[in-house]
Amino acid sequence: MSAPVRVAQLSCGPEHSGVQKEIYDAAAAVNAEMFFPDVTLNDIREAYGSFGLEARSADLQLAIARAKALVEGRVEADAVFIATCFRCAEAAIVRNELRRYIHEQSDLPVVSYSFTERTTSGTLLTRMEALTTIARRRALLAREVQEGLTMGVDSGSSTTKAIVMRDNAIIGTGWAPTTNVIGSAEEVIAAACSEAGISRDDLDAIGTTGYGRFLVGEKIGADLVQEELTVNSKGAVYLAGRQRGEATVIDIGGMDNKAISVQDGIPGTFTMGGICAGASGRFLEMTAKRLGVDITELGPLAMKGFSKEVPMNSYCIVFGTQSLVNALAAGSSAEDVAAAACHSVAEQVFEQQLQEVDIKEPVIMVGGTSLIEGLVHEMGELLQTKVIVPPHSQYIGAVGSALLASGFIRGDLG
Amino acid sequence: MAKVFIYPATSLILSDMVERWGHSPLGAALAIRERIQTPGLDSPPLQMTADDPKKGLKYAAVEVPSGVRGRMALFGPMIDEADAAIIVNDADLAFGCMGCARTNELVKYRIRSRGIPVLDLLYPRCDEDGVAFVAAIKAFLDGLSGGEA
Amino acid sequence: MKEYVPAYAGTVTKYVFVESPDVTPQQLAIRAYEVSEGVMIKETCFGLQITGTEAEVARVIAEIRKMDPSRIFVKDRGFPPGDPRRCRANLGGARPGYYGHEFETGLLRYISYGLDRCAREGAAAPPPETCPPARRLDVRRLQQIIEAEER
Repeated sequence: MSAPVRVAQLSCGPEHSGVQKEIYDAAAAVNAEMFFPDVTLNDIREAYGSFGLEARSADLQLAIARAKALVEGRVEADAVFIATCFRCAEAAIVRNELRRYIHEQSDLPVVSYSFTERTTSGTLLTRMEALTTIARRRALLAREVQEGLTMGVDSGSSTTKAIVMRDNAIIGTGWAPTTNVIGSAEEVIAAACSEAGISRDDLDAIGTTGYGRFLVGEKIGADLVQEELTVNSKGAVYLAGRQRGEATVIDIGGMDNKAISVQDGIPGTFTMGGICAGASGRFLEMTAKRLGVDITELGPLAMKGFSKEVPMNSYCIVFGTQSLVNALAAGSSAEDVAAAACHSVAEQVFEQQLQEVDIKEPVIMVGGTSLIEGLVHEMGELLQTKVIVPPHSQYIGAVGSALLASGFIRGDLG
Repeated sequence: MAKVFIYPATSLILSDMVERWGHSPLGAALAIRERIQTPGLDSPPLQMTADDPKKGLKYAAVEVPSGVRGRMALFGPMIDEADAAIIVNDADLAFGCMGCARTNELVKYRIRSRGIPVLDLLYPRCDEDGVAFVAAIKAFLDGLSGGEA
Repeated sequence: MKEYVPAYAGTVTKYVFVESPDVTPQQLAIRAYEVSEGVMIKETCFGLQITGTEAEVARVIAEIRKMDPSRIFVKDRGFPPGDPRRCRANLGGARPGYYGHEFETGLLRYISYGLDRCAREGAAAPPPETCPPARRLDVRRLQQIIEAEER
């Protein structure tokens, strides 16, 4: 096993919230170890003054001093994890500024998180895995061309996708709603192989991602089992032809949303959220169902409506549905309601998540929801930019997996 | 012997002064020791679990951050049982249990609202301050029942 | 979740800090060992950590305080000595409480001076009525400075 990735922790509150052990456990699960950058009392006094952000909490001052020690190279680390209490305004300001400061002033991958006492290691795992992958597998993530015959499987919370690629081209696809995790995976793998005209034994390498990645990965003997943050980043810039330079990847998923600030295809900062379903693809599914249209028809329907005509901006799926029902009862058109639902989801993601990453153009939307053009349109309006939706965007995780899996063909990376 | 809550609760100086003159200092170490010495679920480093922020609901509402409520689970019961308190008001460089400014504001308020005798001080910055600081604490502690005469 | 079984249950641990020109941490340790009667003594760079029953620890502390009462300071500790959860070697950096101690040890010389004066002068040492006054410049002194500058 390789040496553990050393993750510097900058935090206020996890010990007293009972979540420090959860952080330790999440790190241990991905062969990482947390540590607290060593500074002196004088460093704290000096760093606090020179950083210029007035925080009254001493633990936040300590976090600032530790961040400076990392950026100035006085303490070495592979990655940085910033964690503060949810609902603390002072800590939120410090957390965001430190994340930005480290991202801009160093090459260290950084993720920030606001926890409650209910935060578990499971919640932190994907973030920690992404953080360590970026630190540990830079060579793997540098891959820009797919080689050989590979397959990627994305076992998502709503849908399961498979992609077969040969010599940098997509030759087979499979898509199915996730019911039984293994069963759905088998179904899409069979479809993708059939379309590609190959048998599974012909494959040179396989990658898995998504919620079911471990289970499916073990079952089908995957060479690469990787969380969706790094995989989707790679897939997005690959499909959009934006592998070099800056980009922002937005993936509004069935259960949680990802917003990733990417540099040369490698995530720099990212957020992953999904406390409430009103800001997820699930709400759009509900809307389509209530309007009596297929989810594929919701986007075009929304493009014909005006979102401003219907008040709807709840991050809670129950309240959101209530607005929807009220609007329809008051005589609003299906088009306006569809547009309002798209606007509502886009606005929640914008307000709750995009504030935590620095939006850098181009903005690339991926995942199944990126096919709902009404949603893409509303997001573009909010961000004041033209949002790119690359071809095969709904297969993003599977494409990223197939691309990265080709790094395992010669068995020289791991 | 009076129970004297010290602020900052991690203070070496206050803990020493209170004990030196025959009273019992109530500080962070006592609350941490209680957790470190109680069997239960493993939750390093402080053996504080999600139950602590829940216990803290007695002192702060659910919309208050978990770190504040967790810290209040340490300090709240001690403030409730204290006979007196000594507060150093410029304790800006106290970390860990005292590292959250919002908690500290609430801790001070809870002390003051109890109506127990409170001695307010600032840290000494010179020898003469030191004399005044020590003398004030000694006089305060001597005035509490059960102390050294 | 793993079960937690505490070590050193029923004990107390106290930090002993010494900031004295006459007593070194080594001398303090030697004296502590002399009177320890089996109580656990751990030497540190600033002084000692003593672990045992409350009465045992109080007895050892009462003895060693006599070496230099105004320059030896004692405080409770929540953890037993050398606990891996708080050890610098495991954390990468100091535990949060360390900085608080670092700050207060810088002030101990004023406290020692105050303790000496109070011990010498006893009740004659004037206890201020309230907290020390805010450190504003006295208005008469300000006037003197202005006049001196104008001259």
